[in-house]
Amino acid sequence: MSLRARAVAALGTVYDPELDEPITTLGFVAACVVGEDAVEVRLRLPTPQCAPNFAFLMAADAAAAVRAVAGERSVSVVLEDHYTGEEINGAVNRGEGFDGAFPGETAGDLEALRRIFQRKALLARQSRLLGAGASTLGELTGPDAERCRTLRAALGIDASDEAPAFVTGDGTPVAASDVRFRRMAALTAVSLEANGGMCRDLLRTRYAEELAA
Amino acid sequence: MYEKDGEKYFVFDGHLHFWDASPANWKPGAEEYAKGWIECFHAYMGLGPAETHWPLERFQKYSADDLERDVFQNGHVDMALAQSTYLREWYTNGFNDLARNAELLERFPDKVIVNGRWDPRDGEAGLRQFEEDHAKYGFKGVKLYTAEWREGSRGWKLSDPEAVPFLDKCVELGIKNLHLHKGPTIWPLDKDAFDVTDVDHVATDYQELNFIVEHCGVPRIEDFCYIATQERNVYAGLAVVIGAHMHARPRFFAKLMGELLFWVGEDKMLFGSDYAIWEPQWQVEGFVDWEMPEGEEFADYPRLGVEGKKKIMGLNAAKLYGVEVPAEFQVAGEPADRTASVGVESDGRGAVV
Repeated sequence: MSLRARAVAALGTVYDPELDEPITTLGFVAACVVGEDAVEVRLRLPTPQCAPNFAFLMAADAAAAVRAVAGERSVSVVLEDHYTGEEINGAVNRGEGFDGAFPGETAGDLEALRRIFQRKALLARQSRLLGAGASTLGELTGPDAERCRTLRAALGIDASDEAPAFVTGDGTPVAASDVRFRRMAALTAVSLEANGGMCRDLLRTRYAEELAA
Repeated sequence: MYEKDGEKYFVFDGHLHFWDASPANWKPGAEEYAKGWIECFHAYMGLGPAETHWPLERFQKYSADDLERDVFQNGHVDMALAQSTYLREWYTNGFNDLARNAELLERFPDKVIVNGRWDPRDGEAGLRQFEEDHAKYGFKGVKLYTAEWREGSRGWKLSDPEAVPFLDKCVELGIKNLHLHKGPTIWPLDKDAFDVTDVDHVATDYQELNFIVEHCGVPRIEDFCYIATQERNVYAGLAVVIGAHMHARPRFFAKLMGELLFWVGEDKMLFGSDYAIWEPQWQVEGFVDWEMPEGEEFADYPRLGVEGKKKIMGLNAAKLYGVEVPAEFQVAGEPADRTASVGVESDGRGAVV
């Protein structure tokens, strides 16, 4: 596998934290160029004013993912056409955290924010599995189930095959028949799907010419 | 007024703008932001029907004549609520400040209501300004944009202690309707700027005020719906929900409507076109024609009938703003009923997320 293919595959493991989808399938990776000494990744978002905290997470995660496969080559990530792109690109390529991009404007790192959205993502994913009649995680299969395992592990929730199939965001087991859970899960799934759809539409509108070319 | 199949709809557009985002108004040094902001809005217009798209130049600045034609003549709108959004860090004379909106008041005195604004970071001076503005315009509501940048600060929350004097002032002056609009930034920047839980806090504390959450909290509609079930004085502003989804993604639109009808209910939902992002005409006509699709994935959702559509199109907002609506547009039930039941009663457990 070429380095470019490995870099692109690595970028496929980077998720938009709000939408719970890989940045590659969302169309956020504009370019991935492997040179003799360096790899450059260019990212683009649906609007110039997408939230800086989520934009930073995607840029930093992309840099870390590509660095892990780039060997000796240096890695740079460029977030294009974004109103805080200069601050974000500078910090990410210096290897600094969010506070390095926005000194004095942060109270903590972005991990708490990331966890909130992992919990939402877990709830949304589970909504599509509730009809499976499963009582343990091992009985669930398919991409949504796989993603549930990843999200549970990231949140410190038991992700073994014997673990309860369905849990609330803090890991409390819940029955698939719990109406309130089903409703909240469905609502969260609709929200994430609608947001993802809007982001796709806006990205397509924004870069229509380039996509057509 | 819009009439379809013998039914008459009073159309109250609860969210529209009269902005100047032309290059002449871009603040020196902030041109990139001013340009990016309006181009972002213009991209949203792309989610409506192709025949309603405008060229960017016209979109940057349109005239009162344009608005009259698009909103009152073609758009079926009987009453328009102009929301003031300042953004003075990016636009020299503001994006659409009170003075600009007041031009509409002069020209269409019987068809326009202008909402004020305040920003808790303006402190005592801001409070005085708000009182002066109210003395001049007699507000019934305000538009609050929490993501506005101001002297190095990138936003604020309703639950900030600095907001208390302003909320108290709204109570004192009888300004009951607070339209809340979240944006992509807040202080501190590592928090979720779109989070609407600050609305929950103030809605509990200020029962005499109505909190209209614009865009139904999108992109946090799940958090908004949850709050709306807890608080009787929280309403859903449908601007963007209709404009960005009804044409572009009808299946998602149906699901969003289904969730809103279930959690929030037709008494708490208010139409808004978000003009000039989208023209009202296709939204009004499309919404009146809209039906929940058949099929299993929509089976759990409530249906929306003519009475509900009349409430959402105008009667709910007219009630909140004390606008008299002729009998021919009325429905049997009481619109904007605070005590209207919603799909889920709180059972005292916390959120499941």
